[in-house]
Amino acid sequence: MTTVALLGNPNTGKSTLFNELTDKYATVGNWTGVTVEKKLGTIKHSQVDVVDLPGVYSLNPITKDETVVTQYLLHNHPDLILNVTNANQLKRNLLLSIELLEFGTPVIIALNMIDDLKRSGHYYNFETLSENLGCGIRATNARSKEGLQQLREELVRSDSPTINQPLQLNYPFMINQAIRQASQALIADYGYPQKFARWLVIQFMNKNKVVRDYATHHQLTPLLNQQRYYDAQDFEDDIFQTRLAFIEDTLKAARQTLSTTTHVELTAKIDQWITHPLLGLPVFIGIFYLMFKLSFDWVGTPLSDTLDAFLSGPLSTGAAHWLTSIGAIPLLRSLIVNGLIAGVGGVLVFIPQIFVLFACISILEDSGYMARAALVTDRIMQLIGLNGKAFIPLIIGFGCNVTGIMAARTIEQPNERLITTLISPFMSCSARLPIYSLFVAAFFPHNQALIVLSIYFLGIIVALLMAKVYQILFKVKENTVFIVELPQYHIPRLDVIWHGTWDKGKGFIKKAGTIIFAGTVLIWLLSNLGPTGLVTSIDHSFSAQLGKLIQPLFAPIGIFSWQAISALFTGILAKEVITSSMMVLFHTGSQAGLIALIGQYFTPLSAYSLLVFILFYVPCFATIGTIKSETGSGKWALYSVVSSFIIAYALSFIIYQIGILFI
Amino acid sequence: MQLTFSKTNSSGYTITGFQGIDQATCQRLHSLGLQLGSVVRLVRQYPFHGPVIIEADNQQIGIRYAVFKRLTGGY
Repeated sequence: MTTVALLGNPNTGKSTLFNELTDKYATVGNWTGVTVEKKLGTIKHSQVDVVDLPGVYSLNPITKDETVVTQYLLHNHPDLILNVTNANQLKRNLLLSIELLEFGTPVIIALNMIDDLKRSGHYYNFETLSENLGCGIRATNARSKEGLQQLREELVRSDSPTINQPLQLNYPFMINQAIRQASQALIADYGYPQKFARWLVIQFMNKNKVVRDYATHHQLTPLLNQQRYYDAQDFEDDIFQTRLAFIEDTLKAARQTLSTTTHVELTAKIDQWITHPLLGLPVFIGIFYLMFKLSFDWVGTPLSDTLDAFLSGPLSTGAAHWLTSIGAIPLLRSLIVNGLIAGVGGVLVFIPQIFVLFACISILEDSGYMARAALVTDRIMQLIGLNGKAFIPLIIGFGCNVTGIMAARTIEQPNERLITTLISPFMSCSARLPIYSLFVAAFFPHNQALIVLSIYFLGIIVALLMAKVYQILFKVKENTVFIVELPQYHIPRLDVIWHGTWDKGKGFIKKAGTIIFAGTVLIWLLSNLGPTGLVTSIDHSFSAQLGKLIQPLFAPIGIFSWQAISALFTGILAKEVITSSMMVLFHTGSQAGLIALIGQYFTPLSAYSLLVFILFYVPCFATIGTIKSETGSGKWALYSVVSSFIIAYALSFIIYQIGILFI
Repeated sequence: MQLTFSKTNSSGYTITGFQGIDQATCQRLHSLGLQLGSVVRLVRQYPFHGPVIIEADNQQIGIRYAVFKRLTGGY
């Protein structure tokens, strides 16, 4: 089995190339950091594994997702590195290539987006490039599949005659001498291979944080003893200058000019409007308004309604008839029809809305708009101590808080990342939508969109206020790192959009089959069992007793129905479960039936108070788990649970108590 | 507030230094191929000292106004 590691700068089309080369696919995005973890695929009909790693500008990481790459090189031994570069921006792409060539593993450099280069009127002599760099050079265009067949064949040919000599740049004398001394000590005392030792020394001089941690951990004294000398001599800067000079010479030698150029700058034309200093923000708002309109008004909701009509109508009654005809016991029939079909089905009906929303987000990612969105929102985000890049995780959080929090990995400063993580759960995720839809249909039939929008905005406002509070608490400085690369626009490709949508949405379907399924069965059991065993009336069941027990706590915020309280508990499993629990607890199989029933238990005011409570109360299990793993501490997860519950209770208390004075 | 974005299309600036810019930002700017003496074109400037879009070596990069000013010797 041969392993090929795919490495390259962000926005080089690396993930698209990965998808084209391998059977399985990874998520692709024209937004830095979409590949948040390494992904594995296999080249069709071969024994070659391909590892897709997050895009990095250099092996010295700044953000969390960038550390994945250096860690990978330190602890794994790929047989070949496929370095994907943006042919049009070769100068800075080669800075990373040099670090990879010094690593000593055979490298093939793919000059991707070769069309963009040709259009700019330039080309490179591949032989010159190959000779100077000491590795294979291939031209590809992953989006139009150009050059991929040859590349695939070359990767599969295990005995490919790739050049093995690591690149040895002519660093200044002092540095070369220091490299030689330290690497000889590493080879003699620690048994490191020569190539790896040399690379390690250079990276250590370069202040690579991961490598320095590695040296401390393995007590590499030849490096640690020299650290102060290296830093005092500012070797890092000399190394950078040497590399850049080498790249400029190489590119100069290899550069060719094409005679004919038909250069139409599509990106510049679009950007006249999209990144306009004054119109940029309105355009941004317009695009997101359109996205929500598509998801919740024009396309998503009608499809969802159709699906609901089918599930609660023909499917439900058909199953009931069929179960009766085969003589199933009433209890089993109740479990399947009132429990599973009502509960799981009640959640599945939201698939169309969620998938349309995810498709829109995928289009924005693939086209290259997300980077612009970060730019136009930066000034506003600065006011609350965050930067424009935090906007993307928050927007993605509208789909699912878990992916939103994971997208926060591209934020450079740890404090800003923490703040973004902590406020992410306040973004009203798609899982909370079912319960909103239900209640607005029941209590605000004429202002549905407005009420839902107000809940979303309340979430955003609280998130921004909390961010400001955290900014003061964590003493975040005003001037933070904000560098965003604006990639060329691409016309989104249908298969890429579909893959992106599916990757984001499959989690939802999987949840329906696992946690929502389990939650529904649990609720059904709790509502059909009581202290005395099977109960005929749900009023004597466990869930009724539990709900009634803590009912006094919820009375001040206007929730008097024990069914709703029990459903809220199950919502911690996953927010979608609230709806399915209510279906089960109120003993109904259709949305229409439930809407009629909850009308007896709530007033419009208490319904709104409940929605506000649901927006904030406690993140779902998956989100709590993600907060724990991303912050690396259970304390922040616990803090998130407690603080959001307090916010939820306080806000719905205020809304209900003040509202009741007027209504 | 300077309304300088009206004269964007041909304004070239030379990077005169990285003084006063934090380490992470410097590192990232270096990784993008920017160094002392690099010539960048100012593409856009957002109002209220919002971010600035610069172009160098066929790529557009958005950076903070303060960083841009320091790079080009503004203050």
